[in-house]
Amino acid sequence: MHIEAQERDDVLLRRSAKGDEEAFTKLYRRHQAPLFRFALRMSGNVWAAEEIVQDVFMTLMREPKKFDPERGALRSFLYGITRNRVMKHLERTPRESLHEQIDEDSNGQRGMASESLTPAECAEFGERREQVRAAVLKLPVEFREAVVLCGLEEMSYEEAARLLDCPVGTIRSRLYRGRALLLARLEMLRDTPKRASANR
Amino acid sequence: MTCEEFELAGLDLEGLQQDDPAHHAAREHLRSCPRCAALHENWQTLRADLRAVGAGTQDAEAPSRVEMRLRQEFRTRHKTVKAQRAAAYAGWALAAAAVVLAAVSWVNWQHEKGRQSAQQPAVSGRETASAANAGQGLNTRGAISAGPELGETIVAANDAGEFTLLPGTLPGMLGDATVVRVQMQRGALGALGLTVNEERAADLIQVDLLVGDDGQPKALRLPQTTE
Repeated sequence: MHIEAQERDDVLLRRSAKGDEEAFTKLYRRHQAPLFRFALRMSGNVWAAEEIVQDVFMTLMREPKKFDPERGALRSFLYGITRNRVMKHLERTPRESLHEQIDEDSNGQRGMASESLTPAECAEFGERREQVRAAVLKLPVEFREAVVLCGLEEMSYEEAARLLDCPVGTIRSRLYRGRALLLARLEMLRDTPKRASANR
Repeated sequence: MTCEEFELAGLDLEGLQQDDPAHHAAREHLRSCPRCAALHENWQTLRADLRAVGAGTQDAEAPSRVEMRLRQEFRTRHKTVKAQRAAAYAGWALAAAAVVLAAVSWVNWQHEKGRQSAQQPAVSGRETASAANAGQGLNTRGAISAGPELGETIVAANDAGEFTLLPGTLPGMLGDATVVRVQMQRGALGALGLTVNEERAADLIQVDLLVGDDGQPKALRLPQTTE
């Protein structure tokens, strides 16, 4: 995406630091959605994601000088703050409550070609998706980050490595282990009803 | 390619370039190993599931109330900062003005003080002289005459001249002194403890004497006269 010089993140941030509300709003609108999705997919909680995004932009508003354009893009900087906030949130949230909810809007039937599915298929599809989402939320945080960025956000390994500030090899190995854990867990979930019916 | 290598590199076949030798080797392994083929199929299913989960929140974004809250906070913060800056500037300006005012006042006060101390003896002398001329409390012990001689004119400016204390008189002893203008021989100045030029000792001169409470002359001045 080509952004004109006066619309560049660092320029907008400078203007915002001087009190230009429009510049701040532009920055917010440009970056809030991916940050919100990341926080939502990592925490599994809409309220937490909302609070985290607000907190991230509050930090940007209060301490704009913390961002150093020499060290990377504003997007990476914001992802870094978001990650820290997510970690803090996860630390104080009991593990059992992690997969409690993604609210109705995001947990609904969006993204699914419901017209082409029968109600039974639709229900099965929804159930399966819920299982995957819950399994992702139960992954250890470092594997979850890799799966969320490369699996859900569909970022390249290089991009994810840049955002998480680690080598590509680390992303690759975390992703591999994350997938293995996911597969194991989902296979286990899939087998459970079969075993139950076999025992009957 | 071994099963282990396939798991590490080949699971994500789409992530490998078509012309990558690893891609070719992974495809070969997939054909020959049913376990890895099953694993790959599972992974493809998982991948599709992850995409579906991702699609479920693809359009998710922070509610508009977050933006409203942030903008409100932004306004408050920057208004406060502006107000604080304005208050700071005003404070500094006031402080600077106070310092300048104090400095100017001090300089003026010093100047005034200096001028007053310079004028004080002359002024008190003038005041008492005019009182003496009006005939109030005139003390003319040993004096000849208070007026100028005929043909002589006292220049007004001469009255502004300063008195010289006579030997043995301290400035604090002047008190309510009175000025008396007398005419005397220059030699008589010797009796007051002053050095006199012997050659001109017989000259008549006019002298303003500052006479103290005790009737003793304390200081004198020689008004210049024109003939």
